[in-house]
Amino acid sequence: MAEARIRLHGLTRTFDGGVGVRGVDLDVGAGEIHALVGLNGAGKSTLMRLLLGMLRQDSGTVRLDGRPLGSAPWSRLGHLIETPLAYGELTGRANLMLAARLHGVPASAAAPMVQRVLTELNLHPYAAIRARRMSLGNRQRLGLAAALQHDPDIIVLDEPTNALDPAGVISLREALVRRAAAGAGVLVSSHHLDEVARVADRITVINAGRTIGTLNPHGVDIEREFFALVRSDDERTAA
Amino acid sequence: MTTTTLRAALAVEARKATSARVVTSTTILLLVGIAVLAGATTLAAAGGNEQLMAKLGPSATQGGWTSLLSTASQITAAGGLLAFGVVLSWLFGREFADGTVTGLFALPVSRPTIALAKLIVYLLWSVGVATLLVLMVAGLGFATGAGPIEGTAPVALLRLWSLTVLTALLAVPAGWAATIGRGLLPGIATAIAILAAAQILVVAGTGGWFPFAAPALWTIFPGTVSASQMALVPLVPLTFGFLVLHAWHRLQLDR
Repeated sequence: MAEARIRLHGLTRTFDGGVGVRGVDLDVGAGEIHALVGLNGAGKSTLMRLLLGMLRQDSGTVRLDGRPLGSAPWSRLGHLIETPLAYGELTGRANLMLAARLHGVPASAAAPMVQRVLTELNLHPYAAIRARRMSLGNRQRLGLAAALQHDPDIIVLDEPTNALDPAGVISLREALVRRAAAGAGVLVSSHHLDEVARVADRITVINAGRTIGTLNPHGVDIEREFFALVRSDDERTAA
Repeated sequence: MTTTTLRAALAVEARKATSARVVTSTTILLLVGIAVLAGATTLAAAGGNEQLMAKLGPSATQGGWTSLLSTASQITAAGGLLAFGVVLSWLFGREFADGTVTGLFALPVSRPTIALAKLIVYLLWSVGVATLLVLMVAGLGFATGAGPIEGTAPVALLRLWSLTVLTALLAVPAGWAATIGRGLLPGIATAIAILAAAQILVVAGTGGWFPFAAPALWTIFPGTVSASQMALVPLVPLTFGFLVLHAWHRLQLDR
């Protein structure tokens, strides 16, 4: 069996007050879009921060393409957690050039790569606009372009549809489907079953820091199933 | 850390710094502020303002290059520390304030490499500021009729350049504080605290042994600071530079 792009085992990190994630097992295969769905505060962002090294786990393991975080293939990873990597004083194009360099792309290869992603995500009108003058949605698109432009093998996006208009959601969805078809493993989170979660190959539900079940992305009423799962978990915990 | 990743981080940090209003406006404010204040106070002291003469000390009342450079050095030591502290706080603290720090994780360019690139860009900028400042003060001297640069003036101009670069190096704790405190204000507060401590220790008479005050005393009162006292000065940027890299290496987004 091929090594998973992302493999988490028994991942635990708790904070004062008891919040955090506990014993999470999760994997994302090559060519797979895996959606992590949970209500606000369920632990989605904490889980993503742990697998990207932004937090250190209390216990458990993270493997990216079979390697631990200390020797992970970072140049083959793209992510967006909370805030887009967009500096207000720089134009859209300059921000993408910097992101390319930080992802290990040589200066000579960066310019045509930026040009491609500007076209792919319809960002040409904002190429010469400073990020501080962009709307929240366009800054988010810029951050997504920065995460995706180097065609990474591992993609981790935390609530990527935040602030996007319907056209932005569709172009993101298509960009992710294209990259997954090329072999990338994609992990996306959402607090609701949005357009991106609906194109996922797998949907895992997270609640109170634990994975509590899965949903069939092709199910007829997955919204109802999602709330039923969360409610029964809450009742079980309260009992 | 490799040469390739450091080169990439330097390109990124240099691009950010050259586009930043904070860096440009601080450079202009510092240079123009010191030139205007040094020129005005030198002229006022030459005009016999006794209060100002008492405040600036004997070397500032001798007229010519000696007065101008003594005054410029006093203003640089205090104003420079604040200005350099602001820029360093911004360089490090803005990543937290703007939320861009999340984008600096999970990259082939490590966080300590990015932090080192910030410090190198900062050092290069401060060398540029020091050079421009000396050129401006020299121009000011000519404009105000201080005469040709001769006698002790060339050495005093070199000392002003050294003081500016050393002051920039002494502000490095602000970068560490901005990292530990996750924002700009802890860095700026640290620069102010260093400045206040230096003033108090100079008045108390122990300034030479306090690395944050030694370069200013060495510039304004040459001969009052020993070589061993000056040798302590590089320990500040080296210690806090290491602490900055360590803090970025160990950084967690847990608060």
